[in-house]
Amino acid sequence: MDLEAKKHQLLEEGCCVVPGILTRAETDDVRQRLWRAAEESERRGVPTRRIGIDPNEHNVRVFHLLELDAVFRALIQNPVAIDFVTALLGPDFLISNFTANIALPGSRSMKLHSDQGIVVPEPWFHPWSINVIWCLDDIDAENGATRYIPGSHRIRWQSEVPENAAERTVPFEAPAGSIAVMDGRVWHTSGANVSPSRERALLFGYYSRSFIRPQQNWNACLSDTTVAGLSAQMRAWLGLDARANVKLAEPLRILDTAASTANP
Amino acid sequence: MATHAADHGRTGQPAPTRDPAQALKDIEAFGLCIVPGVLAADKLARVRDALYRAASEDRARGWEQKFRLDYAHDDTNQRVWNLLSRDPVFTDLVEHDVALDLVKSVIGWPALLGNISANITGPGGGEMVLHADQIFVPEPWPAAPQGVNVAWCIDDFTDETGATRVVPGSHRRNRSPTAEEATTASVAVEAPAGSFIVMESRVWHKTGHNRTTDRRRAGIFAWYTRPIYRQQENWFLSLNPAIRQFASDPMLVLLGYRTQGLGMVNGKSPA
Repeated sequence: MDLEAKKHQLLEEGCCVVPGILTRAETDDVRQRLWRAAEESERRGVPTRRIGIDPNEHNVRVFHLLELDAVFRALIQNPVAIDFVTALLGPDFLISNFTANIALPGSRSMKLHSDQGIVVPEPWFHPWSINVIWCLDDIDAENGATRYIPGSHRIRWQSEVPENAAERTVPFEAPAGSIAVMDGRVWHTSGANVSPSRERALLFGYYSRSFIRPQQNWNACLSDTTVAGLSAQMRAWLGLDARANVKLAEPLRILDTAASTANP
Repeated sequence: MATHAADHGRTGQPAPTRDPAQALKDIEAFGLCIVPGVLAADKLARVRDALYRAASEDRARGWEQKFRLDYAHDDTNQRVWNLLSRDPVFTDLVEHDVALDLVKSVIGWPALLGNISANITGPGGGEMVLHADQIFVPEPWPAAPQGVNVAWCIDDFTDETGATRVVPGSHRRNRSPTAEEATTASVAVEAPAGSFIVMESRVWHKTGHNRTTDRRRAGIFAWYTRPIYRQQENWFLSLNPAIRQFASDPMLVLLGYRTQGLGMVNGKSPA
């Protein structure tokens, strides 16, 4: 796999698919653990269906993946994933969220949006976030592949969004075990699962620049046990400590001389 | 105190006003407004005592933390961080209705409290680097301010004691000052103790030089942002739990415990 070519594609088109990150056996294992995590979430009183962001009950959403199984803590810091995140955002990022969306047959599409555009005001000159989407099933147009507009990460102002944007979307196709990497500025929507019987399980690893507030409040939602097992690097990426939101001030050196421009 | 009208004509900074509509006009025109007489004498004394007690404690214990934009070798100026955890009286400043109404008008609601910290100038204390507070937002900046700073004057802010210096109207440039612009002409924002000064996040400003030999000048800076930005203080790590326990509804929003979209726990707001 030529990862440099894939990174080039990410920068040029806003999206790329990198197959073969997980083997078939690993993918099956993660999918099983995901369904166990969904059950555990329900058992803990956190609903996974009809949570208010999908048109019907055919989407299963699991929120606290990092708390529920070590396999998800490994995926979010997978070296290839981090490599792509760093290629787009630079090293100054935080893990914003890690959630699952299992589209069952009959699940429908969301509204077209860019993840960055629904959160931060225009203009969108730079990538401030990225999605690393783990494909746990073979993904195609029939079972609800994410549809996106290639090159739409170059849209800087709302006024540049084409009127027929919805017609310009294309589905990404990816075999199980791939990651699909998407610039936070890419305009996209979840596809509808129109298959008779196929599930479409995706994990969304979402990362953002460190000055952006993460979607998930890791300080408040990770258990002491989970936190105790985290590396220093993971603590930093989750923003658990007094870190982040400081990088842009770093070129401003601390003043070496005592200046005064006060009027005597 | 040089706060008479003629002086404002010369410096191009707004006159103090108690009229919220005028204050908003001033923020739009100058990037700042001055609201006098907000804290009554007894309340001001209570806040001032709490602040100087915390500052003395930090200094005696060696807990002081330098700030990157300050003069590095300054042993007289002092910052006091995370005031909310030092005394509950500071919550009254954060959610003071006159200040919070202006915050809501400038950046909308919900908003987050990024930090509330003190900047105390001491005799001979040096200046800060000229900067805009939304420095952490990569340029080009959005059309509207992304934050707002409410500076409470706990002592009289005068030119001599190192009142905050601003470049009035600089918010309209909608960018940070360059290195060459660090020496742009600025004016001292003078206001008596008990006032507050509101600076929208794009206006260029800095701490002034304290030219006195024997006077300190305390300001408390409550920094608010739109809810998409990470807070400067990690409240979930550092806040005195009692402040959260007894927090009002607006305070829960400002601290980020009552939230929408970002800062969630298992898909729900933590409070």
